[in-house]
Amino acid sequence: MKHYHVIEKDTPNVDGFAKVTGQAVYTFDMTMPGMLYGKILRSPHPHARIISIDTSKAESLPGVKAVITAKETGERRQGAWRRYQELCDEPVLCLEKVRYIGDPVAAVAAIDEDIAMEALDLIEVEYEPLPAVFDPLESIQEGAPQLHDEVENNINVTRHIEWGDADKGFEEADFIREDEFILPAQSHVPLETHGSLASFDGGTNRLTLWTSTQTPYYVQCLLAEAMDLRENEVTVIKPHCGSGFGGKNELFADQFCAGYLARKTGRPVKIVYTREEEFTCARRRTPIHYYLKIGAKRDGTFVAKEARAFSDGGAYTSMGATLLYLTGWFSAFPYCYPNYRYDGYKVFTNKSPSSSMRGYGGIQANFCGESQIEMLAADMGLDPVEIRKKNAMYPNYEVPGQATIASCGLPEGLEKIGEYIKERGELPEDHGIGLACYGFNSGGIFNWFNTPYAFSGAEVRINIDGMVDVYSLAADIGQGADTTMCMIAAEELGVHLDDIRMHSGDTSICPSDLGAWASRETLMMGNAVKMAAADAKRQLFEVAASKMSANIVYDLEAGDRRIYLRDRPERGLSYYDVVKDAIRAKEGSLIVGRGHYTPHGKGMISPAFSFGVQAIEVKVDRETGYVKIMNAFTAHDCGQVINPMAVRGQVEGSIMMAAGYAYSEEMLYSEGEVLNPNLVDYSLIGFRDMPSAVTVDCPTHEPEGPFGAKEVGEGITCPTAGALANAVYHAVGVRITDPPLTPEKILMALKKKETQEKSPK
Amino acid sequence: MKRELKITVNGDLYELYVDPGMLLVEVLRDRLGLTGTKRGCNSMSCGVCTVILDGKAVKSCTILALQANGKNVTTIEGMANGSKLHPIQQSFIDHWAFQCGFCTSGQIMAAKALLDENPNPTREEIKHTMNGHLCRCTGYNMIIEAILDAANRLQEEVK
Amino acid sequence: MIKDFEYSAPGTLDEALSLISQYGEDGKIIAGGQSLLLLMRRKLVAPRYLVDIKGISSLDYINISENGDLNIGALTTHRAIETSREIQQKFRILSEMEENIAAVENRNWGSIGGNLCHADPVGDPSPVLVALNARLEIVSVRGERTVAVEDFARDRFYVNLAHDEILTEIQVPCPAPRTGSKYTKFSILEGSFALASVAMSVTLNAKSDICDDVRIALGAVNSTAMRAREAEEVLIGKEITDELLEKAGEVASGEADPIGDMRASAAYRKELVKVLVKRVGKEALLRAGKDSWEGSSAKSDGKVALLGRR
Repeated sequence: MKHYHVIEKDTPNVDGFAKVTGQAVYTFDMTMPGMLYGKILRSPHPHARIISIDTSKAESLPGVKAVITAKETGERRQGAWRRYQELCDEPVLCLEKVRYIGDPVAAVAAIDEDIAMEALDLIEVEYEPLPAVFDPLESIQEGAPQLHDEVENNINVTRHIEWGDADKGFEEADFIREDEFILPAQSHVPLETHGSLASFDGGTNRLTLWTSTQTPYYVQCLLAEAMDLRENEVTVIKPHCGSGFGGKNELFADQFCAGYLARKTGRPVKIVYTREEEFTCARRRTPIHYYLKIGAKRDGTFVAKEARAFSDGGAYTSMGATLLYLTGWFSAFPYCYPNYRYDGYKVFTNKSPSSSMRGYGGIQANFCGESQIEMLAADMGLDPVEIRKKNAMYPNYEVPGQATIASCGLPEGLEKIGEYIKERGELPEDHGIGLACYGFNSGGIFNWFNTPYAFSGAEVRINIDGMVDVYSLAADIGQGADTTMCMIAAEELGVHLDDIRMHSGDTSICPSDLGAWASRETLMMGNAVKMAAADAKRQLFEVAASKMSANIVYDLEAGDRRIYLRDRPERGLSYYDVVKDAIRAKEGSLIVGRGHYTPHGKGMISPAFSFGVQAIEVKVDRETGYVKIMNAFTAHDCGQVINPMAVRGQVEGSIMMAAGYAYSEEMLYSEGEVLNPNLVDYSLIGFRDMPSAVTVDCPTHEPEGPFGAKEVGEGITCPTAGALANAVYHAVGVRITDPPLTPEKILMALKKKETQEKSPK
Repeated sequence: MKRELKITVNGDLYELYVDPGMLLVEVLRDRLGLTGTKRGCNSMSCGVCTVILDGKAVKSCTILALQANGKNVTTIEGMANGSKLHPIQQSFIDHWAFQCGFCTSGQIMAAKALLDENPNPTREEIKHTMNGHLCRCTGYNMIIEAILDAANRLQEEVK
Repeated sequence: MIKDFEYSAPGTLDEALSLISQYGEDGKIIAGGQSLLLLMRRKLVAPRYLVDIKGISSLDYINISENGDLNIGALTTHRAIETSREIQQKFRILSEMEENIAAVENRNWGSIGGNLCHADPVGDPSPVLVALNARLEIVSVRGERTVAVEDFARDRFYVNLAHDEILTEIQVPCPAPRTGSKYTKFSILEGSFALASVAMSVTLNAKSDICDDVRIALGAVNSTAMRAREAEEVLIGKEITDELLEKAGEVASGEADPIGDMRASAAYRKELVKVLVKRVGKEALLRAGKDSWEGSSAKSDGKVALLGRR
């Protein structure tokens, strides 16, 4: 087993000092001399034609410096689908129509926030309200209101995935179940809302945008397009970011409105979403109507699965199209189905676009799939652990015609869960333990953004004093990407963490990276950083080899600030001395290493997959339906662990978010209006409700990952809701198929069950 | 009409004129430039704006600045001694008790008030007292461990 | 964000009274302001004059008189009530109620008087004080009066208080011997707002376990905290049993008149009342000193929930 100097050890966050002293500056905190405050006027109608917009009164309000409407932004539509222009369907500012409550119509810049707000009230927009539709199943009906003229029946995107012959598989099955599930909308709730500060230099025609984003590169490209600028006339800088969870993956109204207003006024403009805007006008987790059919042999072997999904897509394509694919893909996870068929429909509705969110498609698929497997096991009289063991993916399993699973710790995870349940023994009354397994992507390969750059690029520069500058656009939004990248660079170069200085989040100085989505940073940027460090290390080795005049059969190795012979570690040189010599040898130029990573030969989905299984224990109050989440036991495989404490942070944070999805969180609507757009009425799991969490690693070595690492940020959000529903079932015998599992739903189900049991057959 | 506000923040006395509608958090952030104190919900639900006012933790998003007239405020910027971190801050770093960091100032100020009042809290007491502080990243357990550890460190210091 | 107003912070009650009598309908009292400022920010309330009484220290006290009556100054913070040793010992229901209101930061700043005057139907103090038969002292330049807590809130966010009046004191009578009281709220998350709540105070006969008196107050199931008088009738004069509590719960549930909203349906809230009355009643009885309690709360149906139960 390889001995590591840096990775594998608990390593505090490299931004720790700034974050605990309040010195970390977020976009939310920024100001600039002469800065104006921007506000966005949004549609009050779920669906309406814009007849006219009169901004004259707003413009003449003292203190107002500019008002913009679609007159400025034009007919341009934006979206991240650069390979599929027809999917870039979101107006920058609405021109003819608004399609959800919150669709941006105009924006104002003024000398203070109050005046900007007042100016919004003075903009006169005449609307002709149109009939609206909110449910995807109604939206696809003949005669339903049409959101986009060019899209028939509101079917925005369809996806089909198939392998084997599902019909034949079902014929061979001894047991078949068909079930229906309805999944809710969840809000990302980053504690820092969306926000931007734009500054435009009229002399050079260049824009700088500081913004709370998880994809600086996308924002750079899309904003340049939206404003008719060259890509590199736009610099996007991500300061400290108050989290994203998939909700800050795209170009948003704060970004383009601040950009346009800064250009128009010649002054910096800042726009920050209110909490209400964050709930109503940003993105949300995709609600789905799911139909599942599963067939198994008498011994529990799965022979076929069929899935159909109708997603409540909201008003525009957003990132919901990828979701539609992924939820179908994850519906076949993490089990071996010889025959599988999926049909997905992303349907337009008059609500804010549903999009990417942590666990992207997996959390929905997982809730349904793991609930159904548990029901199937009950039908068949099989043990929930055994049926999963029988069908679990395993190392080097090929998903027929789709992808090869290289490393896979699921079998080991199921062993550990089995042991845990045995150890837990007989449970107290009204307690139940439920299980769910998951597998998840470590980054996405599908390049719909059509980037011509490597997916992740990094640069390493070594200075004369041995200090290493690492340049990476990996977006640290709290998950600890900067720390991870520093650790990978230090490990590869054989230096200490404090030899590394990180430069991230600035598109003008960092090689490109697609951003923090699909759990891609550790694997993809990790590879790029490791490669850049290796490139620099090779240059040091050249000098070290020549200085040491060792037999050329020896390999060199770097570790703990030394460069030495691998097989004779006592023979070596100080890293610092080698650096000095190497820079001299290059006529004083810095040692520069470059790395880039784009997956090749790994299919079109993901280069690697994480796996795991979770057991949730609950206690249910039979008289009120109240659920107390007692404990979460997780056995997971994220490949080689880089930073154990960061991994734990991801696991437990995922549990909090997914427990909310399962139990307390839901965006509630009436006629397209969000009824609970605030943190009073939208309930996040707090300190008192968070269960204890025990996590065991089932590490594997992923050949495609840096040092063997895979993802951990998203996969673990997938099992919790299904495990919780299964736990409630085992506790009190009721099955809820439409999360969140509120006490009211549970109580009503209990009462129904009681009535059924009492009624004579 | 603007009114005079005399307020001591982190030991420094400030004399300002403020609109009566101005909130304490607005004075701290927008007038004094102390942006370590955040705003997350404006409805007293998230706790990121927590500061210590005359020894008690309060949510500065829903207090008029004038209501703090003549009082002492401690914000996150008043916690460290120069570059030497307060033991609670150090514990938060050592336990990975934050991720994005946006709620961290509020968490630390609440933890400070908690430990000032109850130097040796149990896990349950910490959960109970910290319950007003939302964190969307960590899942809370690592914050609890940081506070337990900080309690130990503070008691070591006293010895 | 908040509409401009004129602010004053009188140092004494008399000054405050004279100011608000002068301002009339244009004036508004602010104490902690944690509810008021939210309304002002949303422009639902926009007073021209705001009179800040938070600093009037003469209204911040907790006194228990020799005969055991409790008097709380209206500006006493929730936290002070929660942590008062005397209240913990003699009016445990109050401190228990307080420790589950919102967050400690809110309790450090918010006052009991402000809470009552805001009259949020989901508020916790009202049902408890109704169960304790508390009265409120209200003062104006015109004089003083007292009103039962039960009669103070008239509708959601609307109380029996004239523009020139200030709530100054909460008066809780000393409970009779053999009185026990208990409050429970049901919320989906711990410490969160109530979907339904029940406070009950039971007084047992000195010589028997007959219930001499009972007050049952329901919260969050009507426009204000309400007495469940018919349910009380079920219990008074009887020795309270499991069955009787069950019946009282059903009757109280019938008396409750909740709204259905996004948080819960009316039917569910009524169901909660039924369960809470039963549970709260048992605890109140124990506290009243009913030492032999026949009803066993944990009805065992012999089933043990196990993973993989066939």
